[in-house]
Amino acid sequence: MIISTNWLADYVQLPGTVDEMVERLLMAGLNHESTKPVGQDVAVELEVTSNRPDCLGHIGVAREAAVLFDRPLHVPDPRPLEGAGPVSGSVAVEIHSPEICPWYTARVIRGARVGPSPSWLVDRLATVGVASVNNVVDVTNYVMLECGQPLHAFDLAKIRGGRIIVRRAEAGESFLAINHKAYTLTERMCVIADAERPVALAGVMGGADTEIGAATTDILLESAQFAPLAVRAAARGLSLASGSSYRFERGPDPAMVEWASRRAAALIIELAGGTLERGVMVAGKLACEPASIRLAAERVGEVLGVDIADARQRKILTALGFVEERGGALHDHRWRAPSWRRDCWREIDLVEEIARVEGYARVPEDVAISARPVELSPRERTVRRVVEVLVSAGLCEAMTRSVVTESVASIPSPWGDAAPLAISPPLVRGADRLRRSLVPSLLEARSGNVAVGVEDADVFEIARGYLARPAAADVSDGPVDEPLLAGVVVGGDFFRAKGLCEAVLAGLGVTGPGVRLTTRPIDLAPFAAGRAAEVILDRAGQASERVAVVGEVAAVTRDRLALPGPVAAAEIRIDKLVFAIAGERPVVRPSDYPPVQRDVNLVVDEGVPWGSVESAIRGAVEPFLEHCRLVQVWRDAERLGTGRKSFVVALTLRSTTGTLAGDEASRLVDLVVAECGRRVGAVLRA
Amino acid sequence: MTIVPLDTFRAELERLRADAEAAMDAAADEVALEAARIDFLGAKSGRLKAIQKSLGGLAAADKPAGGRHFNEAKAAVTACFEAAQARVAGAGSECRLDAIDVTLPAEPVRLGHMHPITRTIRRVQEIMGRLGFESVDGPEVEDQWHNFEALAIPAEHPARDPLDNFYLAVARGADPLLLRSQTSTVQIRVMENREPPLRIVSLGRVYRPDTADATHYPMFHQVEGLLVEPGTTLAHLKSVLRMFASSFLGHAVNVRFRPSFFPFTEPSVEVDMEWGGRWVEMGGAGMIDPAVLEAVGYDPDSVTGFAFGLGVERIAARRYGVEDIRDFYRNDARFLRQF
Repeated sequence: MIISTNWLADYVQLPGTVDEMVERLLMAGLNHESTKPVGQDVAVELEVTSNRPDCLGHIGVAREAAVLFDRPLHVPDPRPLEGAGPVSGSVAVEIHSPEICPWYTARVIRGARVGPSPSWLVDRLATVGVASVNNVVDVTNYVMLECGQPLHAFDLAKIRGGRIIVRRAEAGESFLAINHKAYTLTERMCVIADAERPVALAGVMGGADTEIGAATTDILLESAQFAPLAVRAAARGLSLASGSSYRFERGPDPAMVEWASRRAAALIIELAGGTLERGVMVAGKLACEPASIRLAAERVGEVLGVDIADARQRKILTALGFVEERGGALHDHRWRAPSWRRDCWREIDLVEEIARVEGYARVPEDVAISARPVELSPRERTVRRVVEVLVSAGLCEAMTRSVVTESVASIPSPWGDAAPLAISPPLVRGADRLRRSLVPSLLEARSGNVAVGVEDADVFEIARGYLARPAAADVSDGPVDEPLLAGVVVGGDFFRAKGLCEAVLAGLGVTGPGVRLTTRPIDLAPFAAGRAAEVILDRAGQASERVAVVGEVAAVTRDRLALPGPVAAAEIRIDKLVFAIAGERPVVRPSDYPPVQRDVNLVVDEGVPWGSVESAIRGAVEPFLEHCRLVQVWRDAERLGTGRKSFVVALTLRSTTGTLAGDEASRLVDLVVAECGRRVGAVLRA
Repeated sequence: MTIVPLDTFRAELERLRADAEAAMDAAADEVALEAARIDFLGAKSGRLKAIQKSLGGLAAADKPAGGRHFNEAKAAVTACFEAAQARVAGAGSECRLDAIDVTLPAEPVRLGHMHPITRTIRRVQEIMGRLGFESVDGPEVEDQWHNFEALAIPAEHPARDPLDNFYLAVARGADPLLLRSQTSTVQIRVMENREPPLRIVSLGRVYRPDTADATHYPMFHQVEGLLVEPGTTLAHLKSVLRMFASSFLGHAVNVRFRPSFFPFTEPSVEVDMEWGGRWVEMGGAGMIDPAVLEAVGYDPDSVTGFAFGLGVERIAARRYGVEDIRDFYRNDARFLRQF
C-alpha cells in the first residue's frame, strides 16, 4: 500500500517528519518498505498484513496514526446533492448468487461530462503510482484508495436490457476486459451481467464494452460486497490481479460500501457535473455483524508479562474504534469491534491490539525460564554419528533437491518399487517427482563438479526419500513413507564404497550378539551388473531387511553424466539402524594375554564367496578370534586344479583367560579347517 | 703521525666483518673457503691483520675501546669461518645424503566438510538445547490437517492456494497431500501425542513455490521453537529469543518485536536482532493462538505457549557472508570445502 503523505494529512495532523511517522507505524505493525519524494508530495510504501484490510486505504492508515500520535481523526461525511428523479426507474439490480455477492448497491448519475481530472487528483494518484484515466474513473480509484472499498463505474447507455444481474460465471463463458483481453471464465468466478452478457468480472475488472469513455454521459456507480474466494478464483485463475481484487480478497469494511458510493457520487458531480438520481438501488443484505468481545482486566498482563493500566487499555481500544458495552462484571469489560476490524473477535485479539499500540518495547526481556534436561533423540544421534563418520572419511556433505526430474526419478530405488510421487507445480523447471533415492542426485552433484573442473568431489547427503504407501498403511508418522537415507558417491571402485558403508555401520555400532549383517550381490541400476551388493540386517525378533546397497556406477550412467574414472556409490537406510545407537553396550576389557598368529591356506571351489568362508571361520572359533584377515586370493590351475581358488587367511587368536599354548592354537586352527570343510567344502593346502 | 678517529676505525672494522661473512657464506667448497680465509684471516697479509696495524693510529684514550672492537670483530669472523668450514665439510659427507627436503608436499589427508546449513542447524540446536528445547523431526509430505487446519489456516485461506504450495498428484482419499510449507507441522504432531509442559525445536526442509534467486529458493530449512507451559508470557518469548541471539552471536544482543500477523500465533511479532550495528530480521514469533491449542486437544485456559520460526538459510548466509543462497545447493566442492 502506497500512501501519499499530503493526502493522509487530510484526515489527521501528521508528526513533524515522515521518518518519525514511519518509525511509529512500523513499530505498531505497518512495515515500512520505502519512502520516495514525488513532486511536492512524499510516497510511503507500507507492507500491510493480510489481516488488516482496513489499512488498504488512506483513512485506515490515518486512523492508525491518529491513535499512535493521540490526535483526532477527521473523516468526511459526503452528502451529494440528489436530483428529483428516483434511481429505481433506471435499471433493475438482481443478485442470483448471494453466497458470492451478499450486497450490491448502485447509484446513477446522468448528464456528466467525462474529461481530464483536475491536477490535485492527478497528482495524488501519481504519488501512489496510479495513472490518471478520466475524471470518472479517477474518482472510483481515488475513493478506493481513500477508504479501501473498490468501486466500478459503468457507461449506463451500454448496459443492455435495463438489468444488472450478479451471478456465477458460466463455465467457458467469455469476457472482454477493460484491458481489451478476452478471458474464459469458470463457475468459481462471479460476474456482473446485463440482460445479455457479462459486463464486469466482479471485484476484479470491468468490461471493455461498458467502460467510461469520452462519449459517456450516464454513469452507473457500483459499490458492493464480493466473497473473497470468488474474487481470488478470478484474479489468480486469470492472472488478473488488480487493486480491487487485492482488497476484496482481504475483505473491505462493509460499512464503507455505502459511504464510498456517496463519496464517489459527490466527487463525480463536483468534477464532471451531471445529476445524481435520488436514492440508491440495493440488492441483498449487508453482511456486517460486529463481534461482542469479553476482556478480563488481568488478561493483558497474563499474555504480555507486563501490566498495562486499565485506563490505558480502555483508551487504546476506544481510540481504535472499539465501543465498550454496558453491563459486564466488575473487572470484565465487553467491547464491540468496529466494522473495519473483522479480524478482531476474541479476547486475544484485543490483547494484541492493546499490546501493539502500547508497544512491545515494554515487554520485559530478562525473565528467567526454568532449567529442563534434554537429550538428543536416538534418531538425531544416529544422524550425527553418520555425519561424523563420513566427514572423518574425507567426504563433503552436499544438499541436493528433494524433487527431481521424471527421468532421474525413474532410476530404480533400493527402497521400494512404488512409482515416484509427482507434485505440482514443479520445484524447479522440469523437476516434479519426489525422489526415492539420493544417489542419482549425488551423481549429478559430482557431475556438476566435474563440469567446473573439480574431478574429486566425494560427497554424501543425509535426507529423506519418499515412497507412496499402500492404501491401508498406518499413516501415524506421515502420509507417505519417508525413509531416512545416507547417500554416498565417491571416486573409486566397489571396495571403496563398501569400506565407507561398513565404516558407517561400524560407527553406529551395528554389531554384537543378536545382530548379523550379510552382504549379497544384487542387480540394481544405476550400479554396474555384477558389481553391486546389498547388506541385509538380521536381528533377534525382527524380520530380516535390506539396510544398505553399495556398488560401482554403471558406465552408461557415468557416460550420461560425463563422469570420468570409476565411481562408486552407497546408500544406507539409517532410520533402520537407530536401534544400534539407542543401546549402550558395555565395554569389553582387552585381554592381557599375548596373541598367536596362524596363517591358513584354504582351497575352495570358485563359486564359494569369501563371506561364507569368513562366517565359517567365525562360527568355528569366535571367542578366540581377534582378527581374520584375507591376505590373498590366488588361482593356479596346475597346482589347485581348474575351478578352484585359494584363500590365504591370517588369523590372530587370543584367549581372555590365559596364554594360548602352541597346541591349543593348533587345535583352534583344526577347528577352523574342519568347519570350513563342513560348510563350504574347503580343504587345507599344505 | 695522523690520528685516526675511533668512528672511522669502527666503520672499517664493520665493513670488513660484513665482507668476510658474505664471502664465507658464499663459499661453496673447501677451495673457495680457504681463499676467503687467507683473504681475511691470513697471518701475513689478511685484511684483519692490516686493520690491526691501524690500531696504533688511534688516540691514546681511544685505544682500549678500539682494541675491544677489534677483538670482537676477529672473533665473529673466526666463528663465521668455522661454521662455513663445518658446512662445506658436511656437504659431501655420507650422513647428509638422505636428508629430506622438508618443503616437499606432505602425504595429503583429505578432510571432510559439514554443510554450512547443517552447521547452522547444529548451532541453533545446541543453543536451544541448553535452554531446554528438545529437537524433533517429522514428515515432509503432509496432510491438510497438520499443514493448515490445526494451524488455524482454514480452507478458504489464500495460503492454501494450489499455486502457493507443492501439492502431490495423489491424495489420500479426499485429503490433498503436499510438501510441508513450514515445520510447524511437526509441532502439531508432537502436541497431539504429548502433554505439556513441552519445549521443542522442529527443524528441517520446507517447500514453497518461489522463483530461485539470490534470496529465495523453493526448498529451504526452518527451525521452529515451541514452548507450552502454564503461565507462559510474551516476556518469556522475548527473553528466550534474546538469550538465543546473544548466544548465537557470542555477545549480548538486543532484540525487538514488531507486530505482525500469522494465523497460528496471537499476538504475532516479527523479531529483529541487532547484528553488526543494524536491526536484522530473525524470524516470526508469537503466543500460540488459542485455536491451535484447542486443535491439538489442549485447554487454552490452563496452558499458554509461544512459538517462533527462523529461516536457516538467511542466518547461515549472513553468518558466513554468502551472498547468493543458491550457493548452498550448488554443491560445488570448492564452496563446501570452505566450511
